[in-house]
Amino acid sequence: MKKILSLLKTCMSNNMSLFRVKNKNNSKTYKHILPIILFVFVFFAIYYYADIIIKPLIKINVGYIILSLIAIITFFLTLVEGIYKSSSLLFNCTDDNLLLSLPIKRHTVLFIRIFKFYVFELLYNAMFLLPVIVSYTVNVKVGYEYYITSLFMILLLPIIPIFISCVIGVFISFVSTRFKLKNIAQIFITTIFLLVMLYLSYNLESIAKNIASNATSINDFITKMYYPAGVYSKLVTNFNLSDLLVFIIINILLFIILILLFSKVYFKINSKVKEIKVNKHSKNYIVRANSQFLSLVKKELKRFTNTPVFVINAAFGLVLFLIVCVFIVIKSDTFLNFINQYGLSLKKNIITEYIPVILFALISFSSLMTSITSSMISLEGKSFNILKSLPIKPFKIIFSKVIAALIIMIPVILIGDSIMFIKFKFNFFSIIMIISLSIIIPLVSELIGIIVNLKYPKMNAESDTEIVKQSISSFISVLIGIVLIGINIFVIIKCIEYSISNYIILFGGIIVYIIILISLLIYLYRRGIKYFYNISV
Amino acid sequence: MIEIKNVTKKYGNKVALDDISFNVEDGEIFAFIGHNGAGKTTLIKSMVGIHDFDLGDIIINGKSIKNNDIDCKKEIAFVPDNPELYENMKAIRFINFICDMYEIDNDIRLTNIKKYAKIFEMEDYLNDEIGSFSHGMKQKIALIAALAHNPNVLIMDEPFVGLDPKAIFDMKKIMNEMVKDGKIVFFSTHILDVAEKLCSKVAIIKNGKLVKVGNMKDIKGDKSLEKVFLELEK
Repeated sequence: MKKILSLLKTCMSNNMSLFRVKNKNNSKTYKHILPIILFVFVFFAIYYYADIIIKPLIKINVGYIILSLIAIITFFLTLVEGIYKSSSLLFNCTDDNLLLSLPIKRHTVLFIRIFKFYVFELLYNAMFLLPVIVSYTVNVKVGYEYYITSLFMILLLPIIPIFISCVIGVFISFVSTRFKLKNIAQIFITTIFLLVMLYLSYNLESIAKNIASNATSINDFITKMYYPAGVYSKLVTNFNLSDLLVFIIINILLFIILILLFSKVYFKINSKVKEIKVNKHSKNYIVRANSQFLSLVKKELKRFTNTPVFVINAAFGLVLFLIVCVFIVIKSDTFLNFINQYGLSLKKNIITEYIPVILFALISFSSLMTSITSSMISLEGKSFNILKSLPIKPFKIIFSKVIAALIIMIPVILIGDSIMFIKFKFNFFSIIMIISLSIIIPLVSELIGIIVNLKYPKMNAESDTEIVKQSISSFISVLIGIVLIGINIFVIIKCIEYSISNYIILFGGIIVYIIILISLLIYLYRRGIKYFYNISV
Repeated sequence: MIEIKNVTKKYGNKVALDDISFNVEDGEIFAFIGHNGAGKTTLIKSMVGIHDFDLGDIIINGKSIKNNDIDCKKEIAFVPDNPELYENMKAIRFINFICDMYEIDNDIRLTNIKKYAKIFEMEDYLNDEIGSFSHGMKQKIALIAALAHNPNVLIMDEPFVGLDPKAIFDMKKIMNEMVKDGKIVFFSTHILDVAEKLCSKVAIIKNGKLVKVGNMKDIKGDKSLEKVFLELEK
């Protein structure tokens, strides 16, 4: 037991360093300030929305529904996160050789891997759960049972999605090892799972209607939707120790089953995943000279395509953009009704006029949520020294990463644009402005990503997933993206409300984004290069 | 010529390099020795532009790494102690990538790659991914990539670690050929026998301070380099 605790302590402290921020003075206060600011920001954003939702619910004495609702939402979010992460977080970790050479049982190694996964999902869950729990406490008079129940919910709610995502992760890794092109197979299968998840969440309304017609009470309905959510609302409204114990035992059993079940297959798959295809030895090789910049861009693209979690992470936002564009084209009436119902109360013909602006909003959403460069410096890992020793200007190296990201993003966005151009017969000026925005906004997004990654690099991660999905750099980049999207959409809505013309909105968008772009370029040139030199591996 | 001029480097309060100064002339093989953590890798990383340093300057063939880093780096090839190469790249792609960075003509790089891949017996593996290689094979790829662009100054950190005996023999031969052409080979090592036989000059560093520098013969006198080194360590 002492051994396991020591191992956990070592592995976890290494992982938690992802959230620490290094600075020259290395002061502890500074190290923790940024993560705290980020946490407070997210906390209050969710708290604000929870507070708005809970008030009308309390009036009709069903305030507890918000707790079940957040339990269901976090289940979906954790599951999607888990599917992304599980296969690359569990397999082919850099500390495999060290841990497997130590005199510890194999299922202990597996336990550590899954526990680490659990801790990350726990933090992710808590980020959504805590604000809602606090909001409920502020608005409703609660007893000590509420706090006990909520504490156990925070601790146990991640287990079911982890169980499911681990099963899916093992399945993906197992199937992909059967293919010659393991990475492509992994990307393909993971994308299918994520699209299935997307389809299910899209159809949630009809599933809920079906369950509602067969449910006898609200609690029964919630329990049928998702068992832990039902238990949560039941315990909050009518605390019962035996129900809580049953819930705890079920989750602990699930965790134990997960480890026992996986220990049978995990190590076989892990060693298969590590196998690298070796070509038939041949003396024939191609040597082709490229320019420095082209060679750097090619290197980045190769790194991107060889990292499944990187591809999936980037592709998700872009594929979603394409799906939405196709959806708007095929079911334009449904979409316009949706906008009318949940967004702007305008006549359909007026909304149709604003389609280019809606496309602008979509482009900004998908571009700013897709930050490829926020991981690119960290993914260099210890090879970063190779780049530093080469006779190339740092700006060239940094910019090659931005260009590689744009090569991935812009064609997909332009395909989506073209579909919309054809369906809604955009005029020449709108087309030019939309294409300009389709280039400028991704560039802004990737410049933000690279600057943040230069400032907060993680050069010694245990796996690519840690960098792409769990690093402070990717978190900050997405957060900045969300803020920009929020401002963007708010301004667009206000402009439409004031009947400002399409052209002015698009042109204004171009000007604003160009100003941001120039500022970022200046910042990158002045400060980014300093950050580059300061990175020490 | 390499000129190390009063180089000082600090990590917080710890002085990693304390006012280091020495020169390496053209046509010299220079050994840089010291115990673990003495500051060898720190100086080497400063010489090739990986690390910044607080005071002093490093000038290679008249070009300062501080003020003219790009031109200075063009003179150098660097082989790190632990070859952390791009694991997902094929060996040939990696070598080609390095040659692209040094803007080497296609014909020259092809000739050099062929030459050094043959010497290090890596011709059959150039189409394989670096991730599938052993430490020694990665070291050989790092050496081929370094030599493929005909550097004037070859700087290596522990170049012999992981290499098989034949590769060590071949590497020593290549180093001797390079200095015959007036080029410089500068490397750190713990294998003192090799340093003693191969190098014309040596520098010994201890706790960030240079304790001895000069011709190999003058430094060791009648003793072995190992004995001199151990005496200095006391």
